Amino acid sequence: MTERSLKLANRPAVVVAMVLFAVAAVTYWDASQMTARATYGMGANAASYFICLFLAVLGVGHLLTAFQTPAIEAEDADWKAIGGIAIALSGLVGSIWLGAGFTLGSTLLFAFTARAFGRKSLVVDLAIGAFMGLVIFLLFNKLLSLALPQGPFERLF
Amino acid sequence: MRQFLKTAVCLAALAGTAFYPGVSTANDLELTITAPAGAGGGWDSAARSLQEAMMATGQAKSVQVVNVPGAGGTVGLAQFVGSAKGAADQLLVAGITLVGASISNNSPVDLTQVTPLARLTGDPLVVVVPKDSPIQTIDDLLATIKKDVATAIWVGGSAGGADHILAALITKAAGADPSKINYVAYSGGGEALAAMLGGQATAGVSGYGEWEGQIKSGDLRALAISYPEPIEGIEAKPLKAQGLDIELVNWRGIFAPPGVEGEDLDALKAAVDKTVKSQQWKDIVKARGWTDYYAPSDEFNGFIASETERVRAILTSIGLAQ
Amino acid sequence: MDAINLLIEGFSLAIQPANLIFAAIGVFIGTAVGVLPGIGPALTVALLLPVTFKLDPGGSIIMFAGIYYGGMYGGSTTAILLNTPGESAAVVTALEGNKMARAGRGGPALATAAIGSFVAALVATVALAFLAPPLVKVAVKFAPWDYFGLMLIAFVTVSATFGSSPLRGLTSLAFGLWLGLMGLDQLTGQARLTFGVPQLLDGVEVTTLAVGLFAIGEALHVASRHLYKPERPIPVKGSIWMTKEDWSRSWKAWLRGTVVGFPIGALPAGGAEIPTFLSYTIEKKLSRKPQEFGSGAIEGVAGPEAANNASAAGTLVPLLTLGLPTSATAAVMLAGFQQYNIQPGPLLFTQHADLVWGLVASLFIANVMLLVLNLPLVGLWVKLLRIPLPWLYGGILVFASMGTIAANPSVVELLLLSAFGVVGFLMRRYDYPVAPAVVGLILGPLADNALRRSLQMSLGDPMIFLQHPSSAIMIAIATIALIAPFVFKGLSQFQHDED
Repeated sequence: MTERSLKLANRPAVVVAMVLFAVAAVTYWDASQMTARATYGMGANAASYFICLFLAVLGVGHLLTAFQTPAIEAEDADWKAIGGIAIALSGLVGSIWLGAGFTLGSTLLFAFTARAFGRKSLVVDLAIGAFMGLVIFLLFNKLLSLALPQGPFERLF
Repeated sequence: MRQFLKTAVCLAALAGTAFYPGVSTANDLELTITAPAGAGGGWDSAARSLQEAMMATGQAKSVQVVNVPGAGGTVGLAQFVGSAKGAADQLLVAGITLVGASISNNSPVDLTQVTPLARLTGDPLVVVVPKDSPIQTIDDLLATIKKDVATAIWVGGSAGGADHILAALITKAAGADPSKINYVAYSGGGEALAAMLGGQATAGVSGYGEWEGQIKSGDLRALAISYPEPIEGIEAKPLKAQGLDIELVNWRGIFAPPGVEGEDLDALKAAVDKTVKSQQWKDIVKARGWTDYYAPSDEFNGFIASETERVRAILTSIGLAQ
Repeated sequence: MDAINLLIEGFSLAIQPANLIFAAIGVFIGTAVGVLPGIGPALTVALLLPVTFKLDPGGSIIMFAGIYYGGMYGGSTTAILLNTPGESAAVVTALEGNKMARAGRGGPALATAAIGSFVAALVATVALAFLAPPLVKVAVKFAPWDYFGLMLIAFVTVSATFGSSPLRGLTSLAFGLWLGLMGLDQLTGQARLTFGVPQLLDGVEVTTLAVGLFAIGEALHVASRHLYKPERPIPVKGSIWMTKEDWSRSWKAWLRGTVVGFPIGALPAGGAEIPTFLSYTIEKKLSRKPQEFGSGAIEGVAGPEAANNASAAGTLVPLLTLGLPTSATAAVMLAGFQQYNIQPGPLLFTQHADLVWGLVASLFIANVMLLVLNLPLVGLWVKLLRIPLPWLYGGILVFASMGTIAANPSVVELLLLSAFGVVGFLMRRYDYPVAPAVVGLILGPLADNALRRSLQMSLGDPMIFLQHPSSAIMIAIATIALIAPFVFKGLSQFQHDED
């Protein structure tokens, strides 16, 4: 009995427990900093404290399971593919951030996602992505008059 | 790939030269109006109405509306102050809510940092009670508040907004402590309306237009409006006419970025002024149910300063600003 | 009866050939735009509203109704086929619908969603026409304490979406609740968990979370397994149409979903999501094959889809009778009315009776048109799954991020979307259910506000929840629903021990 409880059987559960405790701590800190007070009834920090407690209880729950039930075997993951999508998403965020426009962003997003799924011909995918992005952009800006982020390229239209 | 990048860079360089056209005559202005709110809201419709009127009157060649929602408009204002500095083709629509939001969110930017071009519209707020309420007049309401400020439950739009400010002003006028006001905030006039009709509140505040239907059908009793003068078609009398020195108008105005000066500024002022005085604009204002509250740039400038001070004082008294 | 005459008049307007064409166009473009992930009916209607302005009021409203129903239907199509709900009300549809689609039963899933939506909208529109004025009188009496009771019931039903482990389900729920704290508190204006970032002051958009967890999380998950376990969704297995069994399992679910959806939709702060959770739970409890839930039970699509559409018709009750928009879609519809200088409100039914009945008739026509157009298209939609995976997921990500950018072009929003994608991937990898997180984000702030508004109105006295019979009953129902399973389990355990 003691032997079993000493053996760590579920590493992910411990990690989740730590994350839960950390989030609970941040929430507690945030709630303790609040200045606005409700004159009647409960303040805005009541919900924060409640959820903080909830998170802490779940953290304890995860710690308990970590020593009792073995982890579910996580499957092998293709980290290269994950990286590909990460590049794709950063391409989009980056081009919006730097003001390079929606079309470039969605071109990068499309092409690198396709690459993550095993496509080899990047140029073809870039072309498809660019075409798609441009059509969407024109549809929104011209037909629906909803301004998607513009870069130098979009200003040509 | 490399070829593609090269082409892209060339295109970018080419486009860069076409960007930010210099302002020459008023009639070929190419403007962008920032609405610091999502599509469909009050500032968005003000921006789009102005867009429509400027194009229809030929005061601008093209006008584009960009929505930058967030935090009661402070996100859009911060972006406008930061990135449009000195750009004579950028405009911003804003109103009294943004004055309050800048103060209560402790925002580093506020409306005193942009260049006022014109005040456009100003809608009255209305104070109502449920139809079965024993309160018949504004004096009855003041007496109720004075008797017990805690059980006099107000409902209205979000905390720190114009509705909340008016409720606080009335509480203060009743001789009660405004920091003890029992104001139940809802996401907007609509949800607060349900609470009013359900009889859960003593009194409510909202834009007159939002509750007009219920006031006309008799489901709500309007005690007063917050506009300084009587308005045609509105039965309720101004607070000022009923012996309370309170006025609060939900105004909207148009602004240029900081650092726009001289000829550029004059061109923008002229374009806006001509648009606002046109028949097209008057028709739009009427169709939307707005009230004209025009003031030219200089007057508006002083107004912004005094309004900011006033709102700060009220928000401090109800504990929403330090 | 006067109402029936007016309705017939409304139909005679809506049935004109030109108007039928407008309805068809509306349904078609509504579906085409609504089918894009991340673009729900509200944004669809908002985007396409200007198109309708170019028509005369009659034709415009008919086209508008078509766009509205098309957008609603389009949102569930992506939820079923691609596991990327276009809006929060379609999250529950994705749970069973996508499992069905993966097993080659996408056709029946889409069909039951379409027919269920049709049935629900039909029944609910009739209810709207005849019950709206009395119903709204009850709805406005719904006070904060009653909403709190309703939220408690909704919270109890969330457990139906937990999957295998209550601990993991609750953790997912807690994540959603925690996200719900973010932003300015509506009652006091206090900022919670915003860390000084102004873009967070408005809180986390439900769509951003749903699209991040579902669409992007799913893409990452599929990509991570692509190399080892290449999984191809099976486009069609067996009949593309509903079998006799599908019909017999669906029809009751449609009707139950309608009964749940319409009244909650009519509440001024009811919303479309809560009825879908409730309907899912009810169907799971009543199903003859509860073990199929979690692996593609058709009732789990039929019920929530019907509930969603019925609640959408329900939101028209406060909109038309009070001028009170209770959902994003209703708010956009209100803007549509105002374009014609028509202010919905207590006088609308008397002053603009022709318009109200015209709208009701248009909703009927659009509804029929949707079914006529989309049932044949089911086969085409299912073929979406034949697009090569790299392009399919590339396209999903582009459209999903476009939806987010169109609603709010901010880098913070995109970073949140990406972060939720990563969280969604990790949750899938370690077997945490994602739906409870979305539920938590929706219900958390509602429950928080309802609780604190009640206490503010009672000056801090918690007895307010028990003093009002309506809220006391709902709290009792929630408590019983929470405790009963444990009691029954304990009893059967006890009997077991006796043996």
